Amino acid sequence: MTRKRQLRFTIIRSLVAILIALLVATILIFISASGATFQAKLEATREALKQMLAGPVFRFSKKNGIAFEAKRLADIFAAMIPTVFTGLSVCVMFSANQFNLGAEGGILLGAFVSAMAAIYLPLPAGLHAVVAVLLGGLAVALVMLLPALLKTKLDVSEMVCSLMLNYIIMYIIKFVMNTYLADKTRGSIQSFPFRESAAIPPLVDNPVFSGAKLSWGFAVALIAVVLCGLFMYRSRWGYAIRMIGINQDFAKYSGMKVGAVIVLSQLLGGFLAGAGGGIEMLGRYDTFTWTALPGYGWTGITIAILAGNNPYMVPLAAFFMAYLSKGCDLMATYAKVPAQLISIVQGVIFLFFAAEQFLSGYRQKLVVKSAQEEIALAQARKEGA
Amino acid sequence: MLNFLKILATPEFFFSILRISAPIIFATLAAIVVEKAGFANIGLEGLMMFSALAGSLVSYYAGSWVWGLLAALATGVVMSLVMGFFAFRLKTDIILVGIAVNMMGSGGTLFLCKVITNLTLGNAMASTTGLITRSLCIPDIAIPIINKIPFLGGVLSGHNLLTYLSFIFVALTSVMLYKTSLGLNIRSVGENPNAAASVGVSVLRIKYIAIAFSGLMSGFGGAFMSMAYAQGWSLDMVSGRGFIALAAQAMGGGECLGGMLSALVFGFAQALGIKFSAVGLDSNLASPIPYAVTIIGLVVFALVRASRAKKRHSAAALGKGARK
Amino acid sequence: MPDGKAPGGEAFVVQMKGITKVYSNGVAANQGVDFNLRRGEIHALMGENGAGKSTLMKMLFGMEQPTSGEIIVNGEKLELTSPAVAIAHGIGMVHQHFMLVPSLSVAENMVLGMVPRKSGLFIDRAKAIEITREYSERFNLRVEPEAKVMDIPVGMKQKVEILKALVRGAKILIMDEPTAVLTSQETAELFVELKHLKAQGYTIVFISHKLNEIMEITDRLTIMRKGRSMGVYNTKDVTKEEISRLMVGRDVVLTVQKDRAVPGESVLRVRSLEYVNDWNKKMLDDISFDVRRGEILGIAGVEGNGQKELVDMLFNFNTPNSGTVTVNGTSILGMPQQKIRELGVSLVPEDRMLFGIAASASIEENVISDRAGAKRLNNGPLFNMKAIHEEADRLIKEYTVLCKSRSQHVGMLSGGNIQKVVVAREFSNNPVLILADQPTRGIDVGATEFIRKKLVELSRSGIAVLLVSADLNEVMELSDSLIVMHNGKIAAYFDDTAGLTDEMMGEYMLGLKQQTEAEIRRACHD
Repeated sequence: MTRKRQLRFTIIRSLVAILIALLVATILIFISASGATFQAKLEATREALKQMLAGPVFRFSKKNGIAFEAKRLADIFAAMIPTVFTGLSVCVMFSANQFNLGAEGGILLGAFVSAMAAIYLPLPAGLHAVVAVLLGGLAVALVMLLPALLKTKLDVSEMVCSLMLNYIIMYIIKFVMNTYLADKTRGSIQSFPFRESAAIPPLVDNPVFSGAKLSWGFAVALIAVVLCGLFMYRSRWGYAIRMIGINQDFAKYSGMKVGAVIVLSQLLGGFLAGAGGGIEMLGRYDTFTWTALPGYGWTGITIAILAGNNPYMVPLAAFFMAYLSKGCDLMATYAKVPAQLISIVQGVIFLFFAAEQFLSGYRQKLVVKSAQEEIALAQARKEGA
Repeated sequence: MLNFLKILATPEFFFSILRISAPIIFATLAAIVVEKAGFANIGLEGLMMFSALAGSLVSYYAGSWVWGLLAALATGVVMSLVMGFFAFRLKTDIILVGIAVNMMGSGGTLFLCKVITNLTLGNAMASTTGLITRSLCIPDIAIPIINKIPFLGGVLSGHNLLTYLSFIFVALTSVMLYKTSLGLNIRSVGENPNAAASVGVSVLRIKYIAIAFSGLMSGFGGAFMSMAYAQGWSLDMVSGRGFIALAAQAMGGGECLGGMLSALVFGFAQALGIKFSAVGLDSNLASPIPYAVTIIGLVVFALVRASRAKKRHSAAALGKGARK
Repeated sequence: MPDGKAPGGEAFVVQMKGITKVYSNGVAANQGVDFNLRRGEIHALMGENGAGKSTLMKMLFGMEQPTSGEIIVNGEKLELTSPAVAIAHGIGMVHQHFMLVPSLSVAENMVLGMVPRKSGLFIDRAKAIEITREYSERFNLRVEPEAKVMDIPVGMKQKVEILKALVRGAKILIMDEPTAVLTSQETAELFVELKHLKAQGYTIVFISHKLNEIMEITDRLTIMRKGRSMGVYNTKDVTKEEISRLMVGRDVVLTVQKDRAVPGESVLRVRSLEYVNDWNKKMLDDISFDVRRGEILGIAGVEGNGQKELVDMLFNFNTPNSGTVTVNGTSILGMPQQKIRELGVSLVPEDRMLFGIAASASIEENVISDRAGAKRLNNGPLFNMKAIHEEADRLIKEYTVLCKSRSQHVGMLSGGNIQKVVVAREFSNNPVLILADQPTRGIDVGATEFIRKKLVELSRSGIAVLLVSADLNEVMELSDSLIVMHNGKIAAYFDDTAGLTDEMMGEYMLGLKQQTEAEIRRACHD
């Protein structure tokens, strides 16, 4: 199939998947919409969809009609930061065919370690944040050694192992917080406040935007995307990761160090998730308050599937998910539809994206069409010559 | 310390182990059967979440726990068949299908709960605990004669109906796998689908049956959570039991008895954690124990398997009884 | 040619007339083949790999359908659309790779798909064992009904396979290379059983290329070569030499233009290599030879005589029980494949799809997979994309890979072009030793010619080449010197392939002749 056709197929397939998910969402919204009559429910559904699809960047008001709200866009960008990192983390690990689901626990651990560094390490501003984030990333990378080594040496499922680690990390952090580190003067469970020097400053010095908490972390996230992309497509280690993911026997026979690369993929994935946690923590909060697994890891998995494991596509996928998530939040506020709709939408999109045979009949038609055109072209050339 | 041990040495403690292990046992049986059929269902967590909600809601609306239980089972089976459709027909990697189901589980159940209660009661509720009364839960059963036995009586009698069922199912599943034609077919399809196909067994049909079974077991597990363990459904009440079941299946060597014992180990760890908080120790210290035990168990199992394989290979390498 | 029809003109239980099978890729596996079976005979179907005998029997068992021709069973013309249909007409097949479930017992495997029940739901274990015993005794095929299949020896596994066919009502048994996995003792047992079956009126097709066995046990034999039948013969009316001549031979002799080889010093030294496989069968028996610079050493032989195991040892896919293998003095046994490559060894693998390529990666990515870390292709931490593009383009051009661009997925190419990508990589990293395992199997004529020419060219430039090939033309015409393997041993060594005849090759390949120790020693150049 020609490149152009391949691209068109991918786009169409993606759009159909999204449409199906939105259809499911619409049906669910309709069911849950308030209104006594069919007409009223339809109206409510329309309202809800409006909020969900356009609300994230547009504000509707009787006075000014539809107005583009930059703050809302900034909100979405800010929400993207942690999920870009978990998305990148999963991209790297899934590319090596490692179903390590530890990004969830990883981002929590990274956030915690960075928070501790932010509280207890006296360092000058600027350097402090960098060191704290790096420590967060390194801590998680170290932890990922466990599932990685168990997989390469003993063929233990990295999936079960990483899932267990998620819970272990959560409980240990809760324990440590409860017993030793909590700031007992506060009402809710939180750590002592971070030092000023550790904060990641906001991206734009504008009182309106500052409300959105869009920090420099966003820029770092984009840089991470580029670095990951370069790593995966332009470096020999990323290349090895991808080849091992496609055909491990081939990689070994070609001389690649399969075990070491598999470990590397999980270490790197862990580092990305951990660093993401640190950046999110220091960019948005001033004390550590997370008491449960934040859910960014699962979103990261969806993002990786949407992006086809391509780091460069992660921001687009992350933006899409953040947009939808915000849309559902708005819908909950204004149209009284529970925000958790996002879970279902996310799952449906994920499923259809991951289904290889989805629209395979259509793809087959395109392949045949391309082949026929080639033959016709070759024939024409022959006759013309 | 002695005080703590005193608390453990009571019939209540052992009673609680059995009670806590029951849902894990259901899910473990689910994991065991699909693994015998040659694949893995990691969506057990999500299946249990949806079943728990369905069971609780329907028992309220129908006014009877029987209907609730049936609804939970139906939910599990139907959802698992849909999973099978995506995995076997649309060729989606079954691991990814499982991840999708889990993803939808947490938020999805809350969404459905709010919407359904809003529609029918005019009030969007985030959990059904306010609606469910004792009578709408699956009943406990006191076994006559047994309950008079000192100590053991307190451990064995008075359990929920589903608790007893879970242990009975361990035996029934084992019988199914090893004594019935269906079990034979399942094991053949899992080990050598070509061999099964060559004698006319429909590999696809067997796989659907296996995944439906896992849905049924998840239904029981979910129903137990919201209609026996707790009174009503609330968010994230399954807390990873579906994942622990995957580990219990592996640790138990893929067999029913082993799986049950592994599930009991987790039940023990969890019961311990609850007792921790009773004596003032932070429960967060005990909570990770089951998960850590899982990893250790997996490692031990892998080491045993590796050493067995090495023995087999070195015997052949020595050319034992090699003839030309 | 005698057609083996009995003087009384007894009816044939199976008649296959004018069978032609052409696959969608144009390969003609069978061309106008006639094949007949008399009731109660043991009939050998002989030929080298690729001769078409397996395909023919697959059609008799309903696993494939003929492109043209007809099949008559018991006087009735049949369309054998699936194995179930074949089984319903009394045809059973004992596959080379057993269709057994390892953790189930023998009896359970026997009754799979037709399980006797008690009380409707439960397996009647006793009945299953009884059925197994009954058939086991009736046909004198000793099996242990309650033993698990994974615990029983290979010989018994085969007996279970035979019983499985018999219990489903097979009167005609097709046995596909049955002695390939058996030791000589187990083979002798099998022959006793087959004679017993024959005495009870069963008809047996015995697919094999092992001459001694066929002379011993069969009544008639059909020889196939390159998809055609070379005739049917009464076993007692032909000599081994005649069979050999019919089985092994080239219809068209290919001559390859090459200068005489001037071999240099030894690069690869194999000494006393021994290997017993997991089923206790000795696959390599005291193998010793050298491959020298500037020379192509061919390894000929019917597949299954140890060639695959040998290549596996040379690239660490497996380790031998004893013996040494050195490349330029360094032992490579058990060495990680990366290090073997660093010593200058390249491998063109037998299965290109499994090992040779990553199908969904681009041509470019595939062609540099063994040199991704090379300094000239990297700029510090990142690839030097310009250098990589140049390398890929150069190789695509030099190896005439027909493709749209270097970023096309390798899996989309034709077989011949995929193989060209593989050899482009394996030949171009300055190897000192090239191991080529069936390098032109299943690819088009153009690609075949190209690869063969390239091999000769590289050899003459000073590289040592080991060519393992089941294609007689290829191995006789490309090789400068030649080893014939039979039953895991070196049956012959020829230091000059000029003057070798097909007849000589056949005799060594089929075990009719065996050189002396002294003659074989000459394969080593100390």
